[in-house]
Amino acid sequence: MAKEDEILQSLTKQFSALEGKIRIQRSRRMWARVEPADFASVLDYMRNKLGFVILCTITGLDEGENLGVLYHLAREDGIMLNVEVYVPKANPVVQTVTPIFPGADMYEREIVDLLGIKVEGLAPGFRYPLTDDWPAGQYPLRKDWKLDPSPKTGQTEES
Amino acid sequence: MGNVFIPIGPQHPALKEPASFRILLEGEKIIEANVRLGYNHRGVEKACEERSFLQDMYLLERVCGICSHSHSTCFLQAVEEIAGLEVPPRAQYIRTLVAELERIHSHLLWLGVAGHEVGFDSLFMYTWRDREVVMDILALLTGNRVNYGINTIGGVRRDVTPDKYPVILKAIDTLEERTKYYIQIATEEMSFIKRLAGVGRLSKEDVESMCVVGPTGRASGVARDARRDDPYAAYGDLSFKVITDDHCDVYGRAVVRVLELMETYSMVRQLLKNMPEGPITVKAPRKIPAGEAVSRYEAPRGEDLHYVRANGTEKPERVKVRAPTLANVQAVKKMLENYYLADIPIVVAAIDPCFSCTDRTVAVSRLDRGSTELMDWEALRRYSIDWYARRGVRF
Amino acid sequence: MDKVINWSRIKSPWVLHYNTGACNACDIEILAALTPRFDLERFGVLLKSTPRHADVLICSGPVTRQSRDRLVRIYEQLPEPKFVVAVGSCSCSGGVFKGCYNMMGGVNEVIPVSAFVPGCPARPEAIIDGVVKLLMSLQATK
Repeated sequence: MAKEDEILQSLTKQFSALEGKIRIQRSRRMWARVEPADFASVLDYMRNKLGFVILCTITGLDEGENLGVLYHLAREDGIMLNVEVYVPKANPVVQTVTPIFPGADMYEREIVDLLGIKVEGLAPGFRYPLTDDWPAGQYPLRKDWKLDPSPKTGQTEES
Repeated sequence: MGNVFIPIGPQHPALKEPASFRILLEGEKIIEANVRLGYNHRGVEKACEERSFLQDMYLLERVCGICSHSHSTCFLQAVEEIAGLEVPPRAQYIRTLVAELERIHSHLLWLGVAGHEVGFDSLFMYTWRDREVVMDILALLTGNRVNYGINTIGGVRRDVTPDKYPVILKAIDTLEERTKYYIQIATEEMSFIKRLAGVGRLSKEDVESMCVVGPTGRASGVARDARRDDPYAAYGDLSFKVITDDHCDVYGRAVVRVLELMETYSMVRQLLKNMPEGPITVKAPRKIPAGEAVSRYEAPRGEDLHYVRANGTEKPERVKVRAPTLANVQAVKKMLENYYLADIPIVVAAIDPCFSCTDRTVAVSRLDRGSTELMDWEALRRYSIDWYARRGVRF
Repeated sequence: MDKVINWSRIKSPWVLHYNTGACNACDIEILAALTPRFDLERFGVLLKSTPRHADVLICSGPVTRQSRDRLVRIYEQLPEPKFVVAVGSCSCSGGVFKGCYNMMGGVNEVIPVSAFVPGCPARPEAIIDGVVKLLMSLQATK
């Protein structure tokens, strides 16, 4: 896995904080854990120096005390580097990546709606995927959110 | 937190229709186009966390009925990677065979829908009649015309026995002949070309910056295809071309799909010729060990991506599905701006959208008149056919 | 068979198809029912595009919160006598999506349904069978 090793070496050389934070799971699959403060510069380096020109999607995660944002980045040769950034649930803020990846728009709106992550700098626009009348503060993908289906309407009273 | 109450809301007489597209017109030209999605939002990812991995496979098959095998296989590839399962070669070949058969049904379906959108209804009838050939094969191999359920964790549930090969090959021969006819239409039928050429333009740079996937991106000369770039299932063993085109418009997207069909016929023949012997499944544990994986799959509409995180139990910790259409939605805005209202149906159809066909309402705001009207898709389609007919383009 | 053909000469039902959140599998089988191989049109069944011209509303899909109100409005716009056919398991009961947070359940949670055509998806033959059975049962009650 020569290319994957090269990518790992290059990143740890450029960003000493990434030492021990990058792993190669198999060919074409790498994972890295990046601190929120370092993310912008790591992303810039990945895109402009290492060829990660494709943002496939963004996954939001509920880790209990923290919320995770997982950026799935890829190169044209098929190698993926999945970058995990964790922010505290008490104040879950990340910066938009749309200036670099305009296609990230829908992916960022999704984590705003479903996990309650605040994405700063996201242009005004329609929310996605929930309706306008969805109650504020309800984030369905958070682990503690449960809908108790009743046979009649699929809705239930708050207990 | 207790159970949650989600209000349905009273029915307002003046309730605005949910519009999927908001268009700002000046004269006849579109100055701004906005897309709103979510009408088909079902809460599948959350549901996945509450069901077992096997149940999730059946659920995910139904994310989209047209590319159900894509979602099922893509999901299982991630689960199998986490569990360290080696899917037997014969199963990989069968999965690939069904995948390519699915591509055939999907592309022919698309060709028919494209014909319908521009008023070329005989193309719709011809392609859907021919499509029945592949539907029969899929039913023969899997037991269902749609939502095949051929997969299981660790392999496939049904074998494709050698007695079936001649039937499949004969079907492929028939489809190949018919497809040559469609290539002819795409290159010689002037009205069809006039409706498709020059509309919905997307430059190579736009495709790259917006990370557009599938035939939509390949029609702008961007050669990205997960089957070649990130090989999975049996694609590593197959010889095939990644089809691109340089028209950068709706016409290019039609050409790419039709030529992809020809590549698919060749792939099906290769798969049957070289089908490996051996088992069709390996035993899979009920509890999947903690771990995560990303699986990518070239569905007919483009790259499908599934992210799965397991936590050692019978249910996944997280399942994320990024269907190809979502990756292409941003590009639709770009494709519509500076075109005519009449171009909307075919431009949207050309990305082969995976959102439901009948629910698309268009809100048209006219800048010079200061008014907004709602058009349903069928009304917009008929408007566009009339608009072009008045300009000499008719079927 | 003759009965059906005779019947359809008396009244040819016009249908409107509405998808309330389906995966499209039933939708393509409904459309397939209109194509040459299955040819629903030989029964005089025509696909219409507006509720005001339709006798029968064919629904596919479980009902999402977003589509619920629109479904009710479309139903209200159908002139009497009107009938609803729920095509596919999702339309009948919510199918695999029952219990999902954005789903209301089957179509009959929202509007009255005259005929249920199960299947995942429902085959074109089953769809035709369901529509024809509905129409024949109406003829029988006349």
